Amino acid sequence: MGPLIPNEIISPEWNHVFAVLIGIAFGIVMESSGFSSSRKIMGSFYAYDFTMIRVFMTAAITALIGVLYMDYFGWIDRTELFVVPTYLGATIIGGALMGIGFLAAGFCPGTSFLAAAIGKVDGMVFIGGAFLGILFFGEIFPLISDFYYANYLGHITIEESLGIAPDWLALIFVVIAVAVFYVLSIIRKSVQKVKY
Amino acid sequence: MSKRYIFISVVFIALALVLVLLPKQQNRNAFRPDLLLLEINSGDRFLSVDHIAERIIQGDPSILLIDVRNPDLYDEYHIPGSFNIPLNEVLNDSLNAALQLAHKDIVFYSNSTLSADQAWILCRRNKMENQYVMEGGLNTWFDHIMTPVPPRETEGNDAIALYEFRSGASIFFGMPAPVVAYKAPETVKLQNTAVTRKPEPAKQVIELKKVEEEEEEEEGC
Amino acid sequence: MNFLIEDRKTRIYWNPYFGGFLLGLILLFSFYMSGRGVGASGGIKSAVVATVNAVAPTHAENSAYFSKFLKGDKSPLNTWLVFQMLGVIAGAFFSGAINNRLKIRVQHSPKISPKTRLWFALLGGFLFGGGAQLARGCTSGGALSGFAANSLGGLIIMVSIFGSGYLFAYFFRKLWI
Repeated sequence: MGPLIPNEIISPEWNHVFAVLIGIAFGIVMESSGFSSSRKIMGSFYAYDFTMIRVFMTAAITALIGVLYMDYFGWIDRTELFVVPTYLGATIIGGALMGIGFLAAGFCPGTSFLAAAIGKVDGMVFIGGAFLGILFFGEIFPLISDFYYANYLGHITIEESLGIAPDWLALIFVVIAVAVFYVLSIIRKSVQKVKY
Repeated sequence: MSKRYIFISVVFIALALVLVLLPKQQNRNAFRPDLLLLEINSGDRFLSVDHIAERIIQGDPSILLIDVRNPDLYDEYHIPGSFNIPLNEVLNDSLNAALQLAHKDIVFYSNSTLSADQAWILCRRNKMENQYVMEGGLNTWFDHIMTPVPPRETEGNDAIALYEFRSGASIFFGMPAPVVAYKAPETVKLQNTAVTRKPEPAKQVIELKKVEEEEEEEEGC
Repeated sequence: MNFLIEDRKTRIYWNPYFGGFLLGLILLFSFYMSGRGVGASGGIKSAVVATVNAVAPTHAENSAYFSKFLKGDKSPLNTWLVFQMLGVIAGAFFSGAINNRLKIRVQHSPKISPKTRLWFALLGGFLFGGGAQLARGCTSGGALSGFAANSLGGLIIMVSIFGSGYLFAYFFRKLWI
Protein backbone atom coordinates (compact mmCIF):
# COMPACT_ATOMS: atom_id res chain seq x y z
CA MET A 1 0.00 0.00 0.00
CA GLY A 2 1.61 3.23 -1.13
CA PRO A 3 3.24 5.59 -0.68
CA LEU A 4 5.91 2.96 -0.41
CA ILE A 5 8.78 4.62 1.34
CA PRO A 6 6.88 6.54 4.01
CA ASN A 7 5.21 3.27 4.88
CA GLU A 8 8.58 1.57 4.90
CA ILE A 9 7.57 -1.06 2.44
CA ILE A 10 10.77 -0.11 0.69
CA SER A 11 13.54 0.91 3.01
CA PRO A 12 14.00 4.68 3.38
CA GLU A 13 17.58 4.55 2.13
CA TRP A 14 16.16 4.16 -1.32
CA ASN A 15 14.40 7.48 -1.09
CA HIS A 16 17.27 9.50 -2.43
CA VAL A 17 17.90 6.95 -5.17
CA PHE A 18 14.35 7.35 -6.36
CA ALA A 19 14.70 11.09 -6.07
CA VAL A 20 17.53 11.00 -8.57
CA LEU A 21 15.65 8.68 -10.91
CA ILE A 22 12.54 10.77 -10.77
CA GLY A 23 14.64 13.85 -11.36
CA ILE A 24 16.27 12.32 -14.41
CA ALA A 25 12.90 11.39 -15.88
CA PHE A 26 11.57 14.85 -15.04
CA GLY A 27 14.56 16.47 -16.72
CA ILE A 28 14.32 14.40 -19.85
CA VAL A 29 10.59 14.88 -20.31
CA MET A 30 10.62 18.59 -19.60
CA GLU A 31 13.61 19.36 -21.73
CA SER A 32 12.27 17.31 -24.60
CA SER A 33 8.99 19.14 -24.35
CA GLY A 34 10.76 22.42 -24.75
CA PHE A 35 10.91 23.84 -21.28
CA SER A 36 14.54 24.70 -21.57
CA SER A 37 13.61 27.57 -23.84
CA SER A 38 12.40 30.65 -22.04
CA ARG A 39 10.86 32.12 -25.14
CA LYS A 40 8.86 28.97 -25.65
CA ILE A 41 7.61 29.08 -22.09
CA MET A 42 6.57 32.70 -22.30
CA GLY A 43 4.61 31.98 -25.43
CA SER A 44 1.72 31.07 -23.20
CA PHE A 45 1.54 34.57 -21.81
CA TYR A 46 1.89 36.24 -25.17
CA ALA A 47 -0.20 33.92 -27.29
CA TYR A 48 2.39 32.62 -29.67
CA ASP A 49 3.17 29.20 -28.20
CA PHE A 50 0.91 27.57 -25.69
CA THR A 51 3.12 24.61 -24.93
CA MET A 52 3.60 25.54 -21.30
CA ILE A 53 -0.08 25.68 -20.49
CA ARG A 54 -0.80 22.51 -22.36
CA VAL A 55 1.93 20.55 -20.65
CA PHE A 56 1.07 21.94 -17.25
CA MET A 57 -2.62 21.24 -17.46
CA THR A 58 -2.19 17.82 -19.01
CA ALA A 59 0.20 16.87 -16.26
CA ALA A 60 -2.19 18.21 -13.63
CA ILE A 61 -5.20 16.30 -14.91
CA THR A 62 -3.19 13.11 -15.37
CA ALA A 63 -1.90 13.32 -11.84
CA LEU A 64 -5.27 14.28 -10.37
CA ILE A 65 -7.10 11.41 -12.01
CA GLY A 66 -4.23 9.02 -11.46
CA VAL A 67 -4.02 9.66 -7.75
CA LEU A 68 -7.73 9.16 -7.30
CA TYR A 69 -7.75 5.90 -9.20
CA MET A 70 -4.72 4.60 -7.38
CA ASP A 71 -6.41 5.54 -4.16
CA TYR A 72 -9.58 3.78 -5.17
CA PHE A 73 -7.73 0.59 -6.03
CA GLY A 74 -5.93 0.69 -2.72
CA TRP A 75 -2.50 1.16 -4.23
CA ILE A 76 -1.93 4.39 -2.41
CA ASP A 77 -3.39 6.19 0.58
CA ARG A 78 -3.80 9.66 -0.76
CA THR A 79 -4.20 11.15 2.69
CA GLU A 80 -0.53 10.39 3.27
CA LEU A 81 0.68 12.52 0.38
CA PHE A 82 2.57 15.63 1.25
CA VAL A 83 0.25 18.60 1.36
CA VAL A 84 1.75 22.07 1.00
CA PRO A 85 1.23 24.19 4.13
CA THR A 86 -0.97 27.20 3.58
CA TYR A 87 -0.15 30.58 5.03
CA LEU A 88 -2.77 32.67 3.37
CA GLY A 89 -1.15 36.09 3.06
CA ALA A 90 2.36 34.88 2.40
CA THR A 91 1.26 32.39 -0.23
CA ILE A 92 -0.65 34.94 -2.24
CA ILE A 93 2.04 37.59 -2.10
CA GLY A 94 4.73 35.04 -2.78
CA GLY A 95 2.80 33.81 -5.78
CA ALA A 96 2.34 37.33 -7.10
CA LEU A 97 6.07 38.01 -6.78
CA MET A 98 6.82 34.78 -8.55
CA GLY A 99 4.47 35.70 -11.35
CA ILE A 100 6.34 38.92 -11.94
CA GLY A 101 9.64 37.11 -11.71
CA PHE A 102 8.34 34.66 -14.26
CA LEU A 103 7.58 37.48 -16.67
CA ALA A 104 10.93 39.10 -16.14
CA ALA A 105 13.04 36.02 -16.53
CA GLY A 106 10.94 33.57 -18.45
CA PHE A 107 11.94 30.79 -16.10
CA CYS A 108 10.76 29.17 -12.96
CA PRO A 109 13.28 27.36 -10.77
CA GLY A 110 12.64 23.99 -12.37
CA THR A 111 13.00 25.16 -15.94
CA SER A 112 16.01 27.26 -15.13
CA PHE A 113 17.88 24.10 -14.25
CA LEU A 114 16.88 22.59 -17.57
CA ALA A 115 18.16 25.62 -19.39
CA ALA A 116 21.35 25.77 -17.38
CA ALA A 117 21.96 22.09 -18.04
CA ILE A 118 21.97 22.62 -21.78
CA GLY A 119 24.23 25.62 -21.59
CA LYS A 120 21.96 28.62 -21.46
CA VAL A 121 23.63 31.38 -19.57
CA ASP A 122 20.34 33.07 -18.78
CA GLY A 123 19.27 29.94 -16.97
CA MET A 124 22.42 29.96 -14.89
CA VAL A 125 21.97 33.63 -14.12
CA PHE A 126 18.44 32.90 -13.00
CA ILE A 127 19.70 30.31 -10.58
CA GLY A 128 22.21 32.82 -9.29
CA GLY A 129 19.45 35.35 -8.89
CA ALA A 130 17.31 32.85 -7.02
CA PHE A 131 20.25 32.14 -4.76
CA LEU A 132 20.57 35.83 -3.98
CA GLY A 133 16.85 36.16 -3.52
CA ILE A 134 16.76 33.41 -0.95
CA LEU A 135 19.79 34.82 0.78
CA PHE A 136 18.17 38.24 0.89
CA PHE A 137 14.99 36.71 2.19
CA GLY A 138 16.86 34.93 4.92
CA GLU A 139 18.54 38.12 6.00
CA ILE A 140 15.42 40.25 6.14
CA PHE A 141 13.43 37.43 7.61
CA PRO A 142 13.17 38.88 11.13
CA LEU A 143 11.41 41.89 9.66
CA ILE A 144 8.75 39.92 7.87
CA SER A 145 8.57 37.01 10.22
CA ASP A 146 5.11 37.89 11.43
CA PHE A 147 3.74 38.10 7.94
CA TYR A 148 5.49 34.88 7.02
CA TYR A 149 3.66 32.97 9.74
CA ALA A 150 0.35 34.75 9.51
CA ASN A 151 -2.92 33.03 8.76
CA TYR A 152 -1.67 29.52 9.11
CA LEU A 153 -4.30 27.14 7.86
CA GLY A 154 -2.21 24.05 8.24
CA HIS A 155 -1.47 21.39 5.68
CA ILE A 156 -4.96 21.87 4.49
CA THR A 157 -6.45 20.19 1.47
CA ILE A 158 -8.86 21.68 -1.00
CA GLU A 159 -11.44 19.26 0.26
CA GLU A 160 -11.16 20.46 3.83
CA SER A 161 -11.12 24.14 3.04
CA LEU A 162 -13.36 24.67 0.05
CA GLY A 163 -15.50 21.62 0.53
CA ILE A 164 -14.90 20.38 -3.02
CA ALA A 165 -14.48 16.64 -3.07
CA PRO A 166 -11.37 15.53 -4.96
CA ASP A 167 -13.26 13.61 -7.60
CA TRP A 168 -15.41 16.62 -8.40
CA LEU A 169 -12.32 18.76 -8.47
CA ALA A 170 -10.77 16.37 -10.96
CA LEU A 171 -13.86 16.40 -13.13
CA ILE A 172 -14.18 20.17 -13.10
CA PHE A 173 -10.53 20.64 -13.83
CA VAL A 174 -10.54 18.13 -16.67
CA VAL A 175 -13.48 19.89 -18.27
CA ILE A 176 -11.78 23.25 -17.87
CA ALA A 177 -8.56 21.85 -19.30
CA VAL A 178 -10.25 20.40 -22.35
CA ALA A 179 -12.09 23.63 -22.92
CA VAL A 180 -8.87 25.59 -22.61
CA PHE A 181 -7.10 23.30 -25.06
CA TYR A 182 -9.89 23.73 -27.52
CA VAL A 183 -9.85 27.50 -27.24
CA LEU A 184 -6.07 27.58 -27.51
CA SER A 185 -6.09 25.52 -30.67
CA ILE A 186 -8.44 28.02 -32.23
CA ILE A 187 -6.33 30.94 -31.09
CA ARG A 188 -3.25 29.35 -32.52
CA LYS A 189 -4.74 29.19 -35.92
CA SER A 190 -5.61 32.84 -35.99
CA VAL A 191 -2.71 34.49 -34.20
CA GLN A 192 0.18 35.83 -36.22
CA LYS A 193 3.08 33.54 -35.79
CA VAL A 194 6.07 34.85 -33.89
CA LYS A 195 9.34 33.51 -35.06
CA TYR A 196 11.59 32.57 -32.21
CA MET B 1 -8.90 19.73 -32.93
CA SER B 2 -8.21 16.57 -34.80
CA LYS B 3 -10.09 13.35 -34.20
CA ARG B 4 -7.27 11.95 -32.14
CA TYR B 5 -7.39 14.79 -29.63
CA ILE B 6 -11.14 14.67 -29.39
CA PHE B 7 -10.90 11.01 -28.60
CA ILE B 8 -8.28 11.59 -25.88
CA SER B 9 -10.30 14.42 -24.37
CA VAL B 10 -13.37 12.25 -24.22
CA VAL B 11 -11.37 9.50 -22.53
CA PHE B 12 -10.11 11.89 -19.87
CA ILE B 13 -13.52 13.35 -19.20
CA ALA B 14 -14.98 9.88 -19.03
CA LEU B 15 -12.35 8.79 -16.52
CA ALA B 16 -13.06 11.78 -14.32
CA LEU B 17 -16.79 11.22 -14.61
CA VAL B 18 -16.41 7.62 -13.56
CA LEU B 19 -14.49 8.75 -10.51
CA VAL B 20 -17.34 10.98 -9.46
CA LEU B 21 -19.88 8.25 -9.94
CA LEU B 22 -17.96 5.52 -8.16
CA PRO B 23 -19.26 4.55 -4.74
CA LYS B 24 -17.16 6.07 -2.03
CA GLN B 25 -15.11 3.92 0.25
CA GLN B 26 -15.85 4.26 3.90
CA ASN B 27 -12.94 2.61 5.61
CA ARG B 28 -10.38 5.27 4.86
CA ASN B 29 -8.35 5.25 8.04
CA ALA B 30 -9.15 1.72 8.99
CA PHE B 31 -7.79 0.84 12.36
CA ARG B 32 -5.27 -1.98 12.25
CA PRO B 33 -5.67 -4.06 15.38
CA ASP B 34 -2.89 -6.39 14.31
CA LEU B 35 -0.39 -3.54 14.28
CA LEU B 36 -1.49 -2.42 17.72
CA LEU B 37 -1.10 -5.97 18.99
CA LEU B 38 2.45 -6.06 17.65
CA GLU B 39 3.23 -2.90 19.50
CA ILE B 40 1.70 -4.15 22.71
CA ASN B 41 3.64 -7.36 22.55
CA SER B 42 6.92 -5.67 21.84
CA GLY B 43 6.87 -3.83 25.12
CA ASP B 44 8.85 -0.95 23.70
CA ARG B 45 6.62 1.48 25.43
CA PHE B 46 7.90 0.69 28.90
CA LEU B 47 10.38 2.97 30.55
CA SER B 48 11.97 2.04 33.81
CA VAL B 49 11.70 4.28 36.86
CA ASP B 50 15.48 4.65 36.84
CA HIS B 51 15.43 5.98 33.31
CA ILE B 52 12.73 8.48 34.12
CA ALA B 53 14.40 9.57 37.34
CA GLU B 54 17.63 10.17 35.48
CA ARG B 55 15.95 12.28 32.84
CA ILE B 56 14.20 14.39 35.43
CA ILE B 57 17.38 14.93 37.39
CA GLN B 58 19.23 15.97 34.28
CA GLY B 59 16.47 18.41 33.48
CA ASP B 60 15.68 16.77 30.16
CA PRO B 61 13.01 19.02 28.64
CA SER B 62 11.81 16.42 26.23
CA ILE B 63 9.95 14.35 28.76
CA LEU B 64 6.38 14.98 29.80
CA LEU B 65 4.93 12.95 32.65
CA ILE B 66 1.22 12.37 32.89
CA ASP B 67 -0.34 11.11 36.08
CA VAL B 68 -3.51 9.26 35.17
CA ARG B 69 -4.84 8.76 38.68
CA ASN B 70 -7.61 10.68 40.35
CA PRO B 71 -6.90 14.31 41.25
CA ASP B 72 -6.93 13.70 45.01
CA LEU B 73 -4.25 11.06 44.68
CA TYR B 74 -2.29 13.42 42.48
CA ASP B 75 -2.53 16.14 45.10
CA GLU B 76 -1.22 13.84 47.79
CA TYR B 77 1.86 13.03 45.85
CA HIS B 78 2.97 13.18 42.27
CA ILE B 79 6.31 12.98 40.58
CA PRO B 80 7.65 16.54 40.38
CA GLY B 81 6.92 18.11 37.03
CA SER B 82 4.12 15.77 36.07
CA PHE B 83 0.64 16.78 34.98
CA ASN B 84 -2.59 15.22 36.06
CA ILE B 85 -4.99 13.86 33.48
CA PRO B 86 -7.33 11.34 35.05
CA LEU B 87 -7.81 8.20 33.02
CA ASN B 88 -11.39 8.93 32.13
CA GLU B 89 -10.41 12.29 30.65
CA VAL B 90 -7.41 11.16 28.72
CA LEU B 91 -9.19 10.94 25.38
CA ASN B 92 -10.00 14.63 25.15
CA ASP B 93 -9.24 15.55 21.53
CA SER B 94 -7.90 19.02 22.01
CA LEU B 95 -5.79 17.80 24.88
CA ASN B 96 -4.36 15.07 22.72
CA ALA B 97 -3.64 17.55 19.98
CA ALA B 98 -1.86 19.84 22.42
CA LEU B 99 0.19 16.96 23.75
CA GLN B 100 1.12 15.87 20.26
CA LEU B 101 2.27 19.32 19.29
CA ALA B 102 4.52 19.56 22.30
CA HIS B 103 6.77 17.07 20.54
CA LYS B 104 7.90 15.51 23.73
CA ASP B 105 8.00 11.97 25.00
CA ILE B 106 4.76 11.47 26.88
CA VAL B 107 5.05 9.08 29.80
CA PHE B 108 1.96 7.81 31.55
CA TYR B 109 2.16 6.56 35.08
CA SER B 110 -0.22 5.42 37.77
CA ASN B 111 0.16 3.45 40.96
CA SER B 112 1.01 0.24 39.23
CA THR B 113 1.26 -0.29 35.50
CA LEU B 114 -2.37 -1.03 34.78
CA SER B 115 -4.06 2.35 34.49
CA ALA B 116 -1.10 3.89 32.72
CA ASP B 117 -1.08 1.10 30.21
CA GLN B 118 -4.78 1.57 29.61
CA ALA B 119 -4.15 5.25 28.97
CA TRP B 120 -1.41 4.28 26.56
CA ILE B 121 -3.66 1.98 24.57
CA LEU B 122 -6.46 4.53 24.44
CA CYS B 123 -4.21 7.27 23.20
CA ARG B 124 -2.44 4.99 20.77
CA ARG B 125 -5.79 4.01 19.37
CA ASN B 126 -6.42 7.73 18.99
CA LYS B 127 -3.30 7.87 16.83
CA MET B 128 -1.06 9.60 19.30
CA GLU B 129 2.62 8.97 19.09
CA ASN B 130 5.71 9.18 21.26
CA GLN B 131 4.04 7.83 24.32
CA TYR B 132 5.38 5.53 26.97
CA VAL B 133 4.43 3.88 30.21
CA MET B 134 6.39 4.00 33.41
CA GLU B 135 6.82 0.39 34.24
CA GLY B 136 5.70 -0.55 37.71
CA GLY B 137 4.15 2.84 38.38
CA LEU B 138 4.51 4.75 41.61
CA ASN B 139 4.83 1.59 43.62
CA THR B 140 8.06 0.77 41.83
CA TRP B 141 9.03 4.43 41.99
CA PHE B 142 8.95 4.26 45.74
CA ASP B 143 10.54 0.87 45.90
CA HIS B 144 13.50 1.77 43.77
CA ILE B 145 14.01 5.49 43.73
CA MET B 146 12.66 6.84 46.93
CA THR B 147 13.65 3.97 49.17
CA PRO B 148 16.37 2.12 47.39
CA VAL B 149 17.46 -1.20 48.74
CA PRO B 150 21.19 -1.55 49.27
CA PRO B 151 22.67 -4.33 47.16
CA ARG B 152 23.70 -7.57 48.75
CA GLU B 153 27.37 -8.34 48.98
CA THR B 154 27.13 -10.92 46.26
CA GLU B 155 25.98 -8.44 43.66
CA GLY B 156 28.44 -6.81 41.30
CA ASN B 157 29.53 -3.26 40.60
CA ASP B 158 26.53 -2.55 38.47
CA ALA B 159 24.20 -3.10 41.35
CA ILE B 160 26.30 -0.85 43.57
CA ALA B 161 26.34 1.89 40.95
CA LEU B 162 22.59 1.57 40.56
CA TYR B 163 22.11 1.83 44.28
CA GLU B 164 24.23 4.94 44.46
CA PHE B 165 22.28 6.50 41.65
CA ARG B 166 19.03 5.68 43.36
CA SER B 167 20.19 7.06 46.67
CA GLY B 168 21.14 10.29 45.01
CA ALA B 169 17.83 10.34 43.21
CA SER B 170 15.88 9.80 46.38
CA ILE B 171 17.56 12.79 47.98
CA PHE B 172 16.93 14.84 44.86
CA PHE B 173 13.26 14.04 45.05
CA GLY B 174 12.97 15.14 48.61
CA MET B 175 13.47 12.11 50.76
CA PRO B 176 15.69 12.63 53.74
CA ALA B 177 18.66 10.30 53.58
CA PRO B 178 18.02 6.64 54.22
CA VAL B 179 14.37 6.17 55.00
CA VAL B 180 12.50 3.08 56.00
CA ALA B 181 10.27 1.98 53.17
CA TYR B 182 6.60 2.47 53.69
CA LYS B 183 4.32 1.31 51.01
CA ALA B 184 0.60 0.55 50.85
CA PRO B 185 -0.67 -1.67 48.06
CA GLU B 186 -2.84 0.83 46.21
CA THR B 187 -2.33 4.35 47.55
CA VAL B 188 0.98 5.78 48.60
CA LYS B 189 1.19 8.39 51.34
CA LEU B 190 4.26 10.49 51.79
CA GLN B 191 5.18 12.81 54.67
CA ASN B 192 4.42 16.26 53.33
CA THR B 193 7.48 18.05 54.67
CA ALA B 194 9.92 15.95 52.70
CA VAL B 195 8.25 16.71 49.42
CA THR B 196 7.60 20.41 49.79
CA ARG B 197 11.17 21.17 50.80
CA LYS B 198 12.44 20.50 47.32
CA PRO B 199 11.34 23.04 44.77
CA GLU B 200 9.76 21.53 41.73
CA PRO B 201 11.67 21.72 38.51
CA ALA B 202 10.47 24.54 36.31
CA LYS B 203 7.00 23.90 35.04
CA GLN B 204 7.07 22.62 31.54
CA VAL B 205 4.91 24.83 29.48
CA ILE B 206 3.34 23.23 26.48
CA GLU B 207 3.52 25.98 24.00
CA LEU B 208 0.96 25.75 21.29
CA LYS B 209 3.44 27.18 18.90
CA LYS B 210 2.16 24.91 16.20
CA VAL B 211 3.75 26.94 13.53
CA GLU B 212 7.34 26.76 14.67
CA GLU B 213 7.22 23.09 15.46
CA GLU B 214 5.84 22.26 12.05
CA GLU B 215 8.40 24.25 10.11
CA GLU B 216 11.30 22.29 11.50
CA GLU B 217 10.36 19.10 9.84
CA GLU B 218 9.65 19.91 6.25
CA GLU B 219 11.78 20.26 3.24
CA GLY B 220 8.96 21.83 1.29
CA CYS B 221 9.07 22.38 -2.43
CA MET C 1 4.43 16.01 -33.50
CA ASN C 2 4.60 19.72 -33.08
CA PHE C 3 7.31 21.19 -35.19
CA LEU C 4 8.59 24.63 -34.50
CA ILE C 5 9.07 27.22 -37.11
CA GLU C 6 12.78 27.28 -36.56
CA ASP C 7 15.58 25.07 -37.71
CA ARG C 8 14.08 21.61 -37.66
CA LYS C 9 17.33 19.80 -37.22
CA THR C 10 18.02 21.16 -33.77
CA ARG C 11 14.75 22.28 -32.33
CA ILE C 12 12.22 19.48 -32.52
CA TYR C 13 10.23 19.12 -29.34
CA TRP C 14 7.72 16.54 -28.23
CA ASN C 15 4.01 16.94 -28.53
CA PRO C 16 3.00 18.94 -25.44
CA TYR C 17 0.09 16.69 -24.55
CA PHE C 18 2.37 13.71 -24.68
CA GLY C 19 4.99 15.49 -22.59
CA GLY C 20 2.35 16.59 -20.12
CA PHE C 21 0.98 13.08 -19.85
CA LEU C 22 4.44 11.68 -19.16
CA LEU C 23 5.02 14.38 -16.60
CA GLY C 24 1.79 13.37 -14.91
CA LEU C 25 2.96 9.77 -14.83
CA ILE C 26 6.26 10.81 -13.31
CA LEU C 27 4.37 12.74 -10.69
CA LEU C 28 2.25 9.68 -9.92
CA PHE C 29 5.34 7.55 -9.63
CA SER C 30 6.86 10.06 -7.27
CA PHE C 31 3.72 10.06 -5.15
CA TYR C 32 3.64 6.30 -5.11
CA MET C 33 7.27 5.93 -4.13
CA SER C 34 8.05 8.83 -1.87
CA GLY C 35 4.70 10.27 -0.97
CA ARG C 36 5.60 13.62 -2.41
CA GLY C 37 5.73 15.31 -5.77
CA VAL C 38 8.61 16.99 -7.56
CA GLY C 39 10.00 20.38 -6.67
CA ALA C 40 12.71 22.87 -7.44
CA SER C 41 13.00 25.94 -5.28
CA GLY C 42 13.64 23.86 -2.19
CA GLY C 43 16.80 22.55 -3.81
CA ILE C 44 18.17 26.04 -4.30
CA LYS C 45 17.19 26.92 -0.75
CA SER C 46 19.15 23.94 0.55
CA ALA C 47 22.13 25.14 -1.42
CA VAL C 48 21.82 28.60 0.13
CA VAL C 49 21.55 27.18 3.64
CA ALA C 50 24.54 24.94 3.04
CA THR C 51 26.59 27.81 1.70
CA VAL C 52 25.71 30.13 4.55
CA ASN C 53 26.48 27.37 6.98
CA ALA C 54 29.83 26.71 5.37
CA VAL C 55 30.88 30.32 5.13
CA ALA C 56 29.51 31.66 8.41
CA PRO C 57 28.22 28.87 10.65
CA THR C 58 27.44 31.01 13.66
CA HIS C 59 25.48 33.43 11.55
CA ALA C 60 23.52 30.54 10.12
CA GLU C 61 22.63 29.29 13.56
CA ASN C 62 21.64 32.70 14.77
CA SER C 63 19.60 33.49 11.74
CA ALA C 64 15.95 32.95 12.40
CA TYR C 65 15.34 31.60 8.96
CA PHE C 66 18.36 29.51 8.08
CA SER C 67 18.61 27.83 11.44
CA LYS C 68 15.33 26.11 10.78
CA PHE C 69 16.92 24.02 8.12
CA LEU C 70 20.04 23.06 9.99
CA LYS C 71 19.57 19.73 11.62
CA GLY C 72 22.48 18.52 13.64
CA ASP C 73 25.29 17.01 11.66
CA LYS C 74 23.38 16.21 8.54
CA SER C 75 24.37 18.49 5.72
CA PRO C 76 21.49 20.70 4.59
CA LEU C 77 22.16 19.36 1.12
CA ASN C 78 21.11 15.90 2.19
CA THR C 79 17.50 16.30 1.12
CA TRP C 80 15.24 14.59 -1.34
CA LEU C 81 14.93 17.71 -3.42
CA VAL C 82 18.63 18.24 -3.87
CA PHE C 83 19.03 14.73 -5.19
CA GLN C 84 16.06 15.21 -7.45
CA MET C 85 17.55 18.39 -8.87
CA LEU C 86 20.80 16.60 -9.60
CA GLY C 87 18.77 14.09 -11.56
CA VAL C 88 16.99 16.90 -13.39
CA ILE C 89 20.27 18.42 -14.48
CA ALA C 90 21.52 15.06 -15.67
CA GLY C 91 18.29 14.27 -17.49
CA ALA C 92 18.10 17.66 -19.14
CA PHE C 93 21.71 17.45 -20.23
CA PHE C 94 21.09 14.01 -21.67
CA SER C 95 18.02 15.15 -23.54
CA GLY C 96 19.77 18.25 -24.78
CA ALA C 97 22.69 16.18 -25.92
CA ILE C 98 20.79 13.67 -27.98
CA ASN C 99 18.71 16.44 -29.50
CA ASN C 100 21.67 18.52 -30.42
CA ARG C 101 20.59 21.41 -28.25
CA LEU C 102 23.71 21.82 -26.19
CA LYS C 103 25.23 25.22 -26.71
CA ILE C 104 26.46 27.94 -24.42
CA ARG C 105 24.41 30.96 -25.31
CA VAL C 106 22.02 33.58 -24.04
CA GLN C 107 18.59 33.11 -25.44
CA HIS C 108 16.83 36.39 -25.94
CA SER C 109 14.33 38.17 -28.07
CA PRO C 110 15.98 39.92 -31.00
CA LYS C 111 14.50 43.18 -29.74
CA ILE C 112 16.64 43.30 -26.62
CA SER C 113 20.32 42.85 -26.01
CA PRO C 114 21.83 39.84 -24.24
CA LYS C 115 22.84 42.06 -21.36
CA THR C 116 19.27 43.20 -20.85
CA ARG C 117 18.18 39.62 -20.92
CA LEU C 118 20.68 38.62 -18.30
CA TRP C 119 19.76 41.47 -15.99
CA PHE C 120 16.13 40.55 -16.17
CA ALA C 121 16.96 36.91 -15.64
CA LEU C 122 18.78 37.93 -12.50
CA LEU C 123 15.87 40.07 -11.35
CA GLY C 124 13.38 37.35 -12.12
CA GLY C 125 15.45 34.84 -10.24
CA PHE C 126 15.68 37.16 -7.28
CA LEU C 127 11.92 37.60 -7.16
CA PHE C 128 11.32 33.92 -7.61
CA GLY C 129 13.74 32.98 -4.86
CA GLY C 130 12.14 35.27 -2.32
CA GLY C 131 8.61 34.60 -3.51
CA ALA C 132 9.09 30.85 -3.33
CA GLN C 133 10.18 31.14 0.28
CA LEU C 134 7.10 33.16 1.15
CA ALA C 135 4.73 30.85 -0.64
CA ARG C 136 6.56 27.65 0.39
CA GLY C 137 6.66 26.43 -3.16
CA CYS C 138 7.19 27.29 -6.79
CA THR C 139 5.48 26.18 -9.96
CA SER C 140 6.70 22.59 -9.94
CA GLY C 141 6.54 21.80 -6.28
CA GLY C 142 3.80 24.10 -5.15
CA ALA C 143 1.48 24.58 -8.05
CA LEU C 144 1.80 21.30 -9.91
CA SER C 145 2.61 18.74 -7.24
CA GLY C 146 0.73 20.58 -4.53
CA PHE C 147 -2.39 20.88 -6.61
CA ALA C 148 -2.22 17.25 -7.71
CA ALA C 149 -2.02 16.25 -4.07
CA ASN C 150 -5.14 18.25 -3.37
CA SER C 151 -3.46 21.03 -1.36
CA LEU C 152 -5.14 24.36 -0.95
CA GLY C 153 -1.71 25.96 -0.89
CA GLY C 154 -0.96 24.44 -4.26
CA LEU C 155 -4.12 25.85 -5.74
CA ILE C 156 -3.42 29.31 -4.34
CA ILE C 157 0.15 29.27 -5.62
CA MET C 158 -1.00 28.17 -9.05
CA VAL C 159 -3.69 30.81 -9.28
CA SER C 160 -1.52 33.60 -7.95
CA ILE C 161 1.50 32.85 -10.13
CA PHE C 162 -0.41 32.54 -13.36
CA GLY C 163 -2.86 35.20 -12.35
CA SER C 164 -0.20 37.76 -11.69
CA GLY C 165 1.64 36.57 -14.79
CA TYR C 166 -1.29 37.29 -17.05
CA LEU C 167 -2.12 40.46 -15.19
CA PHE C 168 1.30 42.03 -15.65
CA ALA C 169 2.28 40.40 -18.93
CA TYR C 170 1.62 43.61 -20.81
CA PHE C 171 4.38 45.45 -18.96
CA PHE C 172 7.03 42.95 -19.89
CA ARG C 173 6.02 42.40 -23.47
CA LYS C 174 9.09 44.12 -24.84
CA LEU C 175 11.21 41.34 -23.48
CA TRP C 176 9.48 38.66 -25.44
CA ILE C 177 7.65 39.82 -28.52
